[in-house]
Amino acid sequence: MDLHYMVKELWYRKRRTLTATIGLAVGMAILITMNALSSAYTEAARMPLKEIGADITVQRAGDVPEDLTGPVFACSAVTIRKNEIERISTLPGVQGFAQALLVWVFDADRFAIVLGIDPSNPVGPGVLRTQLTDGRFLEKGKKQALVEASFAKNFNLKTGDTVTVAGRTYPVAGIVDASRATKIAVAHIYLPMEEVQKMAAASKQVQAVSPFDKDDANILFIKAAPGQIDALAHSIKDIMGDKASVATPASFLKRLGSLFALSDNFSLVTSLIAVVVTLLIVLKTMAANLTERTGEIGILKAVGWSNGNVVSQLVGESILQCFIGGILGLLFAILAASALGFMQVSIPIPWEMSPTPHFLPGGGDPAFKTLRLPVHVSWKLAGVAILLSSLIGAVIGGFLSRRIARIKPSEVLRYE
Amino acid sequence: MNNHHIISATDLNKDFDSLQVVKGVNLDVNKGEFVAIVGKSGSGKTTLLSLLSGLERPSSGRVILDGRDITDSSENELALFRRDTVGFVFQSFHLIPTLSAWENVALPLFPVKISAEKRRERALELLRQMEMEHRAEHRPSTLSGGEKQRVAIARALINNPKIVFADEPTGNLDSATTDAILEILKCLHADNGLSLVMVTHDLDLAESSDRIIRMQDGEVLS
Repeated sequence: MDLHYMVKELWYRKRRTLTATIGLAVGMAILITMNALSSAYTEAARMPLKEIGADITVQRAGDVPEDLTGPVFACSAVTIRKNEIERISTLPGVQGFAQALLVWVFDADRFAIVLGIDPSNPVGPGVLRTQLTDGRFLEKGKKQALVEASFAKNFNLKTGDTVTVAGRTYPVAGIVDASRATKIAVAHIYLPMEEVQKMAAASKQVQAVSPFDKDDANILFIKAAPGQIDALAHSIKDIMGDKASVATPASFLKRLGSLFALSDNFSLVTSLIAVVVTLLIVLKTMAANLTERTGEIGILKAVGWSNGNVVSQLVGESILQCFIGGILGLLFAILAASALGFMQVSIPIPWEMSPTPHFLPGGGDPAFKTLRLPVHVSWKLAGVAILLSSLIGAVIGGFLSRRIARIKPSEVLRYE
Repeated sequence: MNNHHIISATDLNKDFDSLQVVKGVNLDVNKGEFVAIVGKSGSGKTTLLSLLSGLERPSSGRVILDGRDITDSSENELALFRRDTVGFVFQSFHLIPTLSAWENVALPLFPVKISAEKRRERALELLRQMEMEHRAEHRPSTLSGGEKQRVAIARALINNPKIVFADEPTGNLDSATTDAILEILKCLHADNGLSLVMVTHDLDLAESSDRIIRMQDGEVLS
């Protein structure tokens, strides 16, 4: 195999080289772009949960509160018992775990969505630490409140003020802009978990709808081991029963519905077509090229090249040509991915995960997480495409060259 | 066959379907001998050259070339044998259009494990002998017919062959160039003692050889 000879053959047979290379590049670009697009939708579907620092959220549906006074549970998030929490937190595949308690508090002068959190836990609402706009985050063991920015503005609350919730007064430790972080588990006021547990346990309205002990919770956030999200979700449903509401990236993908299904299936079909068309283009171009070079191959054999020498030379040329086509296709795909990255996608948030009551302004509106489609060509995808291109070159080159290498030089020279 | 023969062919026949192109040829060529095979078009002279050189296998009979019976050799064995022992010069030059003159000369050595530098040196040395060194980097499309044939002769010599087979080497050349190419071939034969088997329909050209073999209807007449 002589690399110099290969390069010259490709260089001086520009029309055929360009036809095969561009054909393969376009096919590979389609394959890479469609797969990158499909991965982008999958990645986008992870974002609502990723923003809250979890892979899975768990809630339980219950009855509608009868009396909207004091602390009440939303019908989408009623009690998850301590023993259930312990069983779930120890399931295989759980890498991180947090619990929270969401309560609607109807005080005489205002309504507030209150979320009890563990400030030291990075999973779940702990990610709000990065969205502080003023003051500091909650500290473990301190009875303080964190106030959401728009709520603070409406009620003229600042860091250092106090806020009263269900008759209890808390100093405002800081202001947080939760709207920038997530659409899930957003609240007006964030309090230490123990404070909200005491509040809920003492509430007649809560107990009337869903008996609650001070160690229970009503939202769980779970970080799962890679590849175990669906299995974990299944196990959680077994523990929680029929009324469990378990959100995973897959459930968000389902909510993208036909858009994702179309993209996913379309990507598969398009990829297959791209590979087949690419194969045919390369096959046809190379077959024509080799037919054109029959005399040349006869000469190679006449001057002492063995079948193996001829095959390795032609396969090498084919691989080189397809490798270049693959690289070119990768560049096309990167450009296409950059363009597609300007597209926006709106991911519907399930109503049960939106903490705002439907009777409040905007509470009944469908919630969406809108983001730019994270289209990017991964190293793995790029590597697979380049390898696939080279493999196409090797297979087609091998198939065609083995046939043509069998020609007898005398047969070729006789008709030249 | 004795030790003086570079080629010894016995009762050589070649059929293409029902057409018998070479009929019962017996032929010996001595080492260092310049033999011309002449005959009209269709007389079987090119087929005989292919049989003698191992490009073609006979339908029956035997060919011993440089002491080796090549009659039953496989295609790959024949290819390697040709690379080590034989040089070819064709009427249509048969140069690779994408390669430069020196690369065409070095073509038989591409599969051989020698350094690219040595390969190039050897090719340039042969082009120098052919007075073609100044055209070493030119591709065949920019060379004249005579220049192409000089490159082809240099290619035939790159492997230090024991015998060169030339099929109508001047068939595509004008008379002045024909004289020059013939002079080169004669020099190679005279100076290097190279065995040379040349097929031609030009009797004047054949007169330059040590021996003329005439063919008609696939048979050797003399």
